[in-house]
Amino acid sequence: MIALLGPEIAWYLSVAAFLFATGAFGVLVRRNPLIVLLSLEIMLNGANLALIGFSRNLGDGGGQIFALAVMAVAASEVVVGLGLVVALNRKRITLDVDRLNTLRG
Amino acid sequence: MVWGAWICLLSPLAASCLITLGGTRVSRRTAGWLATSACFVAFAGAVASFVGLLTHSASDRQFISTAWTWISGGSYQSGLSVLIDPLSTFMMLVVAGVGALIVWYSIGYMDGDDEERRYFAYMALFVFSMLLLVQAGNLILLLAGWGMVGLSSYLLIGFWHQRPSAIAAAKKAFVMNAIGDATMALAFFLLIQQGNSLEFGVLGGEFSSTVANLVALGLLGGAVAKSAQIPLHTWLPDAMEGPTPVSALIHAATMVTAGVYLIVRTHAIFEQAPKVADLAAGLGAATLLVAGLIALVQVDIKRVIAYSTMSQIGYMFLGAGVGSYPNAMFHLMTHAFFKALLFMTAGIVIHALVDEQDIRKMGGLRQLAPKTYWAFLVGSLALVGIFPFAGFFSKDSILAAAMAKGGVYGYVLWGIGLAGTFLTGLYTFRLLFIVFWGEPSAFVREHFHPLGRDVVAFSLAIPVGVLGVLSVIGGWIQFSPWWHPVETWLRTVAEPIVSPSSSQEWTSIALSLLLGLTGIGVAWAVYGAHRVAVPRVVWAQRTLEHKFYFDEAYDALFYAPSVALAKFLRRGVEQPLIADSGRDLGDDTRDLGGLVARAQTGLVRTYALAIASSVAVLAIVFVIVK
Amino acid sequence: MTTLLICLPLAAALIVWVLPLNPVSAGSLSLLAALAEVGVWIQLLVRYDFAQGGLQFSEQHTWINDLGVSYHVGVYGFSVWLIGLTVIVMAAAIAYAFWAGRERARAYMGLMLFLTGAIVGVFVAQDLLLFYAFFEAMLIPLYILVGVWGGPGRLGATLKFVLYTMAGSLLMLAAIIVYGLSEGTFDLVAIGPSSSQWIFLGFVAAFAIKAPLFPLHGWLPDAYRESSPEVAAVLSGVVSKAAAYGFLRIAVTKFPQPTHDFRAPILALAATGLIYGSLLAFRAPDLRGVVAYSSLAQMGLITMGVFAVNDLGLDGSVLQMVNHGLVSATLFLLAGMVERRTLTGELGRLGGMARGRPALATVLLTAGVIALAVPLSSAFAGEFLILAGIFQRGWGWAVAGAVAIVLAAMYVLRLVSAVLHRDVGPAVSDSALDLRPAELGVTVPLLACLLALSVWPAAITQHSFHDDHAADDVLTQFK
Repeated sequence: MIALLGPEIAWYLSVAAFLFATGAFGVLVRRNPLIVLLSLEIMLNGANLALIGFSRNLGDGGGQIFALAVMAVAASEVVVGLGLVVALNRKRITLDVDRLNTLRG
Repeated sequence: MVWGAWICLLSPLAASCLITLGGTRVSRRTAGWLATSACFVAFAGAVASFVGLLTHSASDRQFISTAWTWISGGSYQSGLSVLIDPLSTFMMLVVAGVGALIVWYSIGYMDGDDEERRYFAYMALFVFSMLLLVQAGNLILLLAGWGMVGLSSYLLIGFWHQRPSAIAAAKKAFVMNAIGDATMALAFFLLIQQGNSLEFGVLGGEFSSTVANLVALGLLGGAVAKSAQIPLHTWLPDAMEGPTPVSALIHAATMVTAGVYLIVRTHAIFEQAPKVADLAAGLGAATLLVAGLIALVQVDIKRVIAYSTMSQIGYMFLGAGVGSYPNAMFHLMTHAFFKALLFMTAGIVIHALVDEQDIRKMGGLRQLAPKTYWAFLVGSLALVGIFPFAGFFSKDSILAAAMAKGGVYGYVLWGIGLAGTFLTGLYTFRLLFIVFWGEPSAFVREHFHPLGRDVVAFSLAIPVGVLGVLSVIGGWIQFSPWWHPVETWLRTVAEPIVSPSSSQEWTSIALSLLLGLTGIGVAWAVYGAHRVAVPRVVWAQRTLEHKFYFDEAYDALFYAPSVALAKFLRRGVEQPLIADSGRDLGDDTRDLGGLVARAQTGLVRTYALAIASSVAVLAIVFVIVK
Repeated sequence: MTTLLICLPLAAALIVWVLPLNPVSAGSLSLLAALAEVGVWIQLLVRYDFAQGGLQFSEQHTWINDLGVSYHVGVYGFSVWLIGLTVIVMAAAIAYAFWAGRERARAYMGLMLFLTGAIVGVFVAQDLLLFYAFFEAMLIPLYILVGVWGGPGRLGATLKFVLYTMAGSLLMLAAIIVYGLSEGTFDLVAIGPSSSQWIFLGFVAAFAIKAPLFPLHGWLPDAYRESSPEVAAVLSGVVSKAAAYGFLRIAVTKFPQPTHDFRAPILALAATGLIYGSLLAFRAPDLRGVVAYSSLAQMGLITMGVFAVNDLGLDGSVLQMVNHGLVSATLFLLAGMVERRTLTGELGRLGGMARGRPALATVLLTAGVIALAVPLSSAFAGEFLILAGIFQRGWGWAVAGAVAIVLAAMYVLRLVSAVLHRDVGPAVSDSALDLRPAELGVTVPLLACLLALSVWPAAITQHSFHDDHAADDVLTQFK
């Protein structure tokens, strides 16, 4: 079986978890929206890796399809996010997410 | 015949709608003639039905024409139907005939009023409602007519709606009548439960005595309210706030006699509930006495006549209660003639004196308005029941029926009825002598203006003349000791359950004639010739002037408590418990929201951290539980 | 046909929202759509086979297969009349809003159209979740309409309204979920009867708040006073009927045993509301207060008819739903017209408006007279049937109803007199006009419907249930 070739599923998941944790840490601690967006992408890619790993392990194409869908979503999200960053820049607002707290209750 | 009945019913309605929808496109005079001619068309329709019935044999004189099913609920159904039988045609003739004369009279009386169109629309609506009441082919339509009559009387009594007193009187009349409607409706619910039908035939079914008593009581409640009998009579004197022809229409021919018609129409149930029938007779007797007494001290010309109406309807209730239905109906008819006559002559007097109604300011009008005087005299004699005027023939046979009922109760009723004839003579001729005899008072000399010879005068005079003639000859169609076509005509619908002997008839005739004349004599001595001073008994006079304190008692017993209850509910329940509960709920929610809102820092990272940690906790829980 | 009835106003709403129309064209487009909706309803009325009865024009499409949820719509005889009430009152309300002119007309008109579609949806939904969806969709535009376009106290009124109705909706949602999952389907036609008292009470609570029944009417006075007249007309005329419909279609039909068990307390609440509302209407200081509390009373009466669960009571309550819908809508619109002229609804500051304003006097008097159920009016026919039906469940209920009839006479006559009669009030200027042709065009058709029904109330009572045996229909769950 092709699925048995290559590393165990645990390796894939470890890398995916590492990527996800890195991304999450970045999202939580960084203040620059650009870096936050970047970290988000890393999180998504970690998730994608897990999907594909499982897909390979189970021999089911569904995971790969789902990963493609996530990529599409990620791309559109970047478009929106970068648009926001540009808009902020144009308004001469400091690129610091901690200052953008108008939603505070 | 059937089409005659439908034309009779619908033509006043059509006139009313036309006048309302036409608005200012219909001139005032046209509106008057439209309403009048519609009523005459209705009368022609009634005559057509009458003639149609005559061509059938006596046993075969009942026709129901149903247009369509009016209301239904499961297996219960009632049609929109008219009933053509001797009783309903009798009432149609009286209502449409006298009604048409009164509407005609109104053309003269209301001439120059700002809102003549509205007036005639209401009048036509009233005639329609009354015809619906008497032509209804089943009980629910009867109730419909009953309520419509109440509505149109509300509209007419409150016609001059700038006057607070008129509006108050109109509301009072409507609410009192609504009480009657409600008791009737309750009786009908019971009938539906028992018989699943509201056709008139269901009343003849077999009921337990409780059911029969309750149904009869409910119907009696309606009849008492509509006919202004004790204890629901207080609206009637106040209703004199309306224009005088309205008083004539409501109090003479039509509305107040509806109660009598109802009892006669539903006599089958009253015969199953003899106690309630006795109660009806007793209420009638009480009313005729009380109203006669109150009439003695009234100083408003229309109120005196109003109280006499109550008193005369008391006679009809007495007659219907003891089971002498044809005589009650006969008195209803003659009463319609002479009472309409009295109201309309009083209207001419009021008109001539620039809307003054206080008899203390009047006097000596015999010299200034002799024709009016004669008309009033004819009406008064008919009211007292002096031979050969109309009231003589009808009133005495009711008294004879009370006598024929026998027993202590029958004789008590008979005695009260006789006492009533004395009172009738007294108060009627007190009015006549004060208003028409003596020298013209200063007020009269200053304000009196005679009628001209124009359309106004003619439309006032002709109906009065016709009714005057009817008041003289109208009674002759039945003289109970010798001939009784009215009784024969109504026999198939309402067979009387008492039949007075000829000696009872003659005793009643002699005594009531005697007492009536005595009453007139006393009135003459006191008010005509001033031979005897008016006796002064302070407490009695005060009681009578306060109309036995009925108004005050109702105010204290019902109106004031319900207002107080409503106020209490508003201040004590609605405001603190319901309205503020909502507000408190709202405030508390807002406070709670404020509390929770502090968690909203506005920083995405806080939210992300919350999400991440929650997921972590969930994952741990999931792993442990698994 | 049924889907068209729902989608026509929704589509029109979308168009009005999206297209950059000016207020006049937005208004006329909305009015046109509302009238077209009336036209579609007339088609429905003509084509519905009353002799056959039962569910007709039904359409079913699977929505969530696993849960047995589907888009299932269709009409019964009695829902034909309720849909008719909805489309006619909504058309009148939209016409009045158009004539009176509201700010941000596109948004306003769109919401009104959306509301129309949602209410129609409530009356035709034959699936519990779909019913719930429409029920909620009906409330959302109302929140906005009251909260944005209302009077000075609109925020408080909206907050109360939202809280009360949300609480009711959540109870209903819980009841629906439990009921549907336990029966394995959410289809209203297929789902079997249940004897669970808790589910029953969940439904009853939701409908009792919406109707409202005493003592859950805390939201009513404020919402009716603060919203614009046409929204108040819709609220009391149509939206409250959705609750009565729920009582009839779900609570009574699907829960025969709990209905029997809880009849006495529910009737007691309804009767209390009837008397209580009438008394408060008698003392209410303003026009809308009188009509609002009389609505409370009338909803109590209608509920009594439904919970009588016999032919007379059910027939009567369907008839009375239509009557009260039409008459209270007319009265609220008239209240708005009077307030436009006098800038106040306080009865103490009004008066004497009959003089020189024959159209206003005639219209108000006619509406009032029908509202107090004068015999021969269709409202009388409805009340008579309801009380005759409830009489068979106990004479005491009918006596309470009879007392309320007298009270109704008192409060309606007080209202009519305070506006029309006696001396001219301080708030009434001589320049206050009679009803304009447009205002007559809004109110007269409503009154004409009522008068037509007065001539033939059996049009509804004979054509609401199969073979006019409502109790059998309920017993067999409208199958």
